[in-house]
Amino acid sequence: MNNFVKLKKQSTKKWDALVNSGEAAIYLGMASCGKASGADNVKKAILNAFDKYNVTAKLVEVGCIGPCYLEPLMDISVEGLPRISFGNVNEKMADFLIRKFLVDKEKYTKKTLGFIGNKPYDGIPSFFDHPMLKSQVRIVTKNCGLIDPENIHHYIANDGYAGLEKALTMSPDDIIEDITYAHLRGRGGAGFKTGIKWRTCRDTKSDTKYLICNADEGDPGAFMNRLLIESDPHAVLEGMLIAAYAIGATHGYIYIRAEYPLAIKRLHHAIGQMRENNLIGDHILESKFSFDIKIKEGAGAFVCGEETSLIHSIEGKRGMPRTRPPFPAVSGLNGNPTIINNVETLGTVSHILRNGAEWYRSFGVDNNFGTKTFSLVGKIRRSGLIEVPLGISLKKIIYDIGGGTLKPFKAVQTGGPSGGCIPKELLDTPVTYESLATVGSIMGSGGLIVMDKDTCVVDVARYFLDFIQKESCGKCTPCRVGTRHMVEILEKICNGEAEPGYLDKLESLGQMIKSTSLCGLGQTAPNPVLSTLRYFRSEYIQHIDEYYCSAVVCRSLIEYSVIKENCTGCQLCVSVCPTGAIVGPRSEPHNLDQDKCIKCRACYEICRFDAIAGNAIVITSKKEV
Amino acid sequence: MKLTINNKKIEIGKPATLLEVAEQNNIHIPSLCAHPELTPHGGCRLCIVEIQDRKGYPTSCTTMAEEGMVVRTDTHILQKMREELVQLILSEHPAGCLLCEDVESCSNFQGTIRKVGVTTGCRWCPKDQDCEFQKIVEEFEIKGLTLPGLYRNIEVEKYDPFFDRDYNLCIYCDRCVRICNEYRKSSVLSLKQRGNKTIIGPAFKDTHIDAQCEFCGACVSVCPTGALSEKSRKWWGLPEKYEASICPICSLNCEIQVLTSNHKIVGSLPPGKPHDSGGELCVKGRFCLSELLNRTERILEPQYKFEEGYGIVSWDLAIEKTVEILQQTKPKRAAMFLSPSLSLEEVSKAKYLAENILKTKDITSSVVDENLFAYMRLASHSVSKKELEKASSYVSFFLNGNYKFAPLTMMLKNVASKGLPYFQIGWAKDTTSRFATHQLIPTLCEEHKYLDQIIYILKGDKKGSAELSDLVKVLQNSKPAIIVGPEVISLSNCIPLLDKINQISKLTNAKLYLPNPYGNLNGLFASIKLKRFKDIDKKIKDGKYDLIYLIGDNPFNNRPKVKHIIYQNAFPASSHLDPDVVLPTAIWGESKGSYMNTDRKIQKTKAIAKPQGYSLSHQEVFSRIAKGMKFKIPEFKIKDFGIDKNLNPLKLKAAKKYQKLGIPNNIFPFVLIQEKSQHLYSNMNLSKGIEGFGELVKLDTIMLHPKDAKKLNLNNNDNVQLSSSQSEKSFPIIIRKEITPGYFHLSLSNGNIEFESNPCAVNIRREYV
Repeated sequence: MNNFVKLKKQSTKKWDALVNSGEAAIYLGMASCGKASGADNVKKAILNAFDKYNVTAKLVEVGCIGPCYLEPLMDISVEGLPRISFGNVNEKMADFLIRKFLVDKEKYTKKTLGFIGNKPYDGIPSFFDHPMLKSQVRIVTKNCGLIDPENIHHYIANDGYAGLEKALTMSPDDIIEDITYAHLRGRGGAGFKTGIKWRTCRDTKSDTKYLICNADEGDPGAFMNRLLIESDPHAVLEGMLIAAYAIGATHGYIYIRAEYPLAIKRLHHAIGQMRENNLIGDHILESKFSFDIKIKEGAGAFVCGEETSLIHSIEGKRGMPRTRPPFPAVSGLNGNPTIINNVETLGTVSHILRNGAEWYRSFGVDNNFGTKTFSLVGKIRRSGLIEVPLGISLKKIIYDIGGGTLKPFKAVQTGGPSGGCIPKELLDTPVTYESLATVGSIMGSGGLIVMDKDTCVVDVARYFLDFIQKESCGKCTPCRVGTRHMVEILEKICNGEAEPGYLDKLESLGQMIKSTSLCGLGQTAPNPVLSTLRYFRSEYIQHIDEYYCSAVVCRSLIEYSVIKENCTGCQLCVSVCPTGAIVGPRSEPHNLDQDKCIKCRACYEICRFDAIAGNAIVITSKKEV
Repeated sequence: MKLTINNKKIEIGKPATLLEVAEQNNIHIPSLCAHPELTPHGGCRLCIVEIQDRKGYPTSCTTMAEEGMVVRTDTHILQKMREELVQLILSEHPAGCLLCEDVESCSNFQGTIRKVGVTTGCRWCPKDQDCEFQKIVEEFEIKGLTLPGLYRNIEVEKYDPFFDRDYNLCIYCDRCVRICNEYRKSSVLSLKQRGNKTIIGPAFKDTHIDAQCEFCGACVSVCPTGALSEKSRKWWGLPEKYEASICPICSLNCEIQVLTSNHKIVGSLPPGKPHDSGGELCVKGRFCLSELLNRTERILEPQYKFEEGYGIVSWDLAIEKTVEILQQTKPKRAAMFLSPSLSLEEVSKAKYLAENILKTKDITSSVVDENLFAYMRLASHSVSKKELEKASSYVSFFLNGNYKFAPLTMMLKNVASKGLPYFQIGWAKDTTSRFATHQLIPTLCEEHKYLDQIIYILKGDKKGSAELSDLVKVLQNSKPAIIVGPEVISLSNCIPLLDKINQISKLTNAKLYLPNPYGNLNGLFASIKLKRFKDIDKKIKDGKYDLIYLIGDNPFNNRPKVKHIIYQNAFPASSHLDPDVVLPTAIWGESKGSYMNTDRKIQKTKAIAKPQGYSLSHQEVFSRIAKGMKFKIPEFKIKDFGIDKNLNPLKLKAAKKYQKLGIPNNIFPFVLIQEKSQHLYSNMNLSKGIEGFGELVKLDTIMLHPKDAKKLNLNNNDNVQLSSSQSEKSFPIIIRKEITPGYFHLSLSNGNIEFESNPCAVNIRREYV
């Protein structure tokens, strides 16, 4: 323990040197969201600017702070100013900011999003008062975007490993008691009580026990786990240590998708740092507790997020689920008791240990305590990674945090391809495991896909089911064949080839697949269809009876045409049309030949956005009765 | 344990799944993927049940029965869901029959002759009437499809020998995958791809041969549909009879059941229910027997060489001519050749004929050479297989278990996967290699020195390498068993090597097990004091004989210089042998007989089918000859067969001579291992006689590892020139993953080693065209 105290002191010193010394520092969001928005180029621009102006500052690469739509986010702190944040920074702006702050020594606060830290500065709002962040409660994501994920000292200085330190003074049973009392539920989606799961594993007698962190986040549009690992890997690793200590595991695995290279890199790096500091391996922090972690990269099968498939995959077998019971907590990896927890669950554990179960129970509502992270995406104004207390209404998430939609709101899909579409009327539904289930959806791992009037729900249902169908492992009949039939039917509906009775068939197939499938993948596969059928049946009927797609998405049911009055005759559409469907002389309204048109949308896009074009091309779907 | 199924109170003793409990109590639950020999799968979902206080519909095959469970298997909702599940499977599985207007009368108008592989009517599925899915469809009385067909249109795989694979008929029960992995432990098959592209097969689109499939046929046996079907009995329909017998091809004499249809032997299976086969047989016992029997190249009529040429003659004339020849032959002027595939009865009668009529003791077999003698001497110390299973560690010397000795290789796989040490010493990468705790490759061409080292370490004279010390430690601290593969017989230094192995076994008190590849060689050795083939051959060349009597055996390509040759066999000899009389005989399955196996147990076979054509059993031929010569051959009786007297362990002479072999060097960097053919029946080489087997064991073809092939820039079927320090020969090549890199493997069609030594250091180059 003495060593840890020493380490903590050392870390605090290093953190203080960064935050409180008044030395200039630049923080750049370099998680995947930042990189996707061009943070790498911004970083280059910053380094170039250092050279150019012959100035220097500490450049700290931090993770994702949440509002991904504002990336790349660049924070800057100089003497006399708190760390202040700028959004959507490009190379030019980075250069400009460096010149202003470091060369001109000007306190440029005009475009700032707010300050970060506990030292307010006049005239600058707090970053966390930003409408997207105001209603959030940051527990798991506490450090995200604030610390350097590749620097263990930053983590330790921010109370890191204090949970483990405390845990090692407690008995494993007390820890499980705490987690059970905190009422932490599995954040992977199913919401099983973590404490009970751990208890089962602890009570199973075996020489070898395993702890697996499930980071096989496969839902389209979900990135909570990815960003958490990229921004604060130690939070998850600390949770793993605590969990392993509680259940008596000596070996741990992190099962992570190979498609997350940055997260994998950061995990390897973090584990290396832990090893240097005696936080992993034999006799962790001079205690009797020994534990080691291996990283297993998944080959990109969606079903491997299912725990029994995941175990098979680690064992080197084909990722294919098996029937439970026996549950992995009794017989899992290599036949030994195994606990599989989601990244977020483990990330939460260390906070519960640090601050106590009672504290954790102060967030959320009965039976659904604590917070949950979501990736808020789709047709929403402010997209990104959010963390909210359970029990918050969907409306609050979408309108307060997300800022609503540009076009009229239609539905929100929770729980990824296994979840359901929730319509506007039910937006007051609180986000709890139970209430989401009653409206025909699931909590899921945390994907929130917002749709507006331009989204066709039939098309969305088809998309999700097609995804599931292609990711089915093929083991059980209903999932392998049943989903395929459902996709075929949906495709026919989208193509305007449906026949009466198709909706009943969809429903009965869906119910059958739900009740007879082997694993969670099949059992939840029909959810997108069943929930949209429940709330948007009229839209299905429009597709079938009137060949009408109100969102003008379904290709067979729509038509492109040129509004003669608006057409400027610029010929841009003619140049992009791949089939020569649009003809017309310059400066005269063009003609669109329906027979040749393949509905590729190229003309529509160019006509809408190009300066000389007149937004003359429209897509319509005609009702035919 | 008490539970209730469908209101029936049931008590069970042992833990069992609900499906098993239901079956034991005559409660029918439909299922497709469940199989008594395999672990539960839970894929087809047909066996869903309702359990009180349990969510959803668990599958009974994967749910263990528990105290106080209340189970319903037959509710309306279950039946409805099962029916929908069957409909789902049917939508993928060709089901034209169900929709056809003529389905009722169809089978009545199927009077055409079914040709192999030719579609006749719609009933083109080879498992028609034997299909479990068909039975399920009938059980649910499904008369039409409720869902559109999703025919997968997958090309039928016909490129591997012995069985075809039509995955359009596959219902993904996973039985083939499970039996391959769990029972036979071959791990050739797996589910591949995902979603609707899911398919079964070896990884990486390998052929079954490349994936080192052993062609045990277990997958074919357990397949509930026509997806996997035996090529040779695809169109025979359901077999009429299943007769118990034994396999005559190697000395293990595995128990089998013989399938007959229309009084013909159409196939063979391991004992047990036909669909429960665990693949206990090797490819020869499973697939080759019926093909061997039904070969078109059988001799069907007796022939006699008249002055103007061969003519088909009656048996009476053939016997008359044979008797004439026998009577003309003076005492000691005849040599007799016996096949090691002959039964004990046949051997004893032949022996009587030789000793009492021909008055000669010159009886031999073409396989009998000095090395085989040494091997059989050591083999006389061999323990039974049951005894072998009691050992606690295993060492195999020069064993190549590919396509042979299935019970032995399966045992080795099983003990090794249970955690017992298994050392494989030799070059072969066979089906057991993956399970070997250590694979030790002896020093090239100095194998005897390698074995010497083991002996030194055992005696405590020397310290050895880490791996040899490990081996010795295991040998000394456990109850070891030593298995010697018959591949050693082909090696130049066979006798010294066997001598060393014997020393090792004595020093460690190890059990010995030496299986040989010839059906009744143990019986032949126990019955007759055989002469060496080399000595007889010399006497033939010296003109010491007037008659050569070949019974099921023939070492000659050309006619040796003797007055008369009698050729008594089921399969024709080479056209240059030119025998005086050809007596066609029946083979195994067509005549009864007794065989002695490696355990020295005598097992009987019966005549299941009639001899083909005009052929007669060997025994019948002998008695007709005896009748013609007016004497009587005494009947063979097992109880007169002095097992004890004849099978006293033979003494081994200490070997002194080593042949010095060339060690691989820069000029001859590769090692060639030659193997005399070990797959023989009645002098018919199975690689030549059975097309499919010929693909597995290619004769006179250099087999090499893909790495070497890539290095040498060689492709399959290229011709290469192989040169050693003393000779040069050309061969075609074939690339196989089962060969150790750096080694070439050559299976020889005749009994002679092609190069000066074996193993032999060689170089290789592409043959100039």
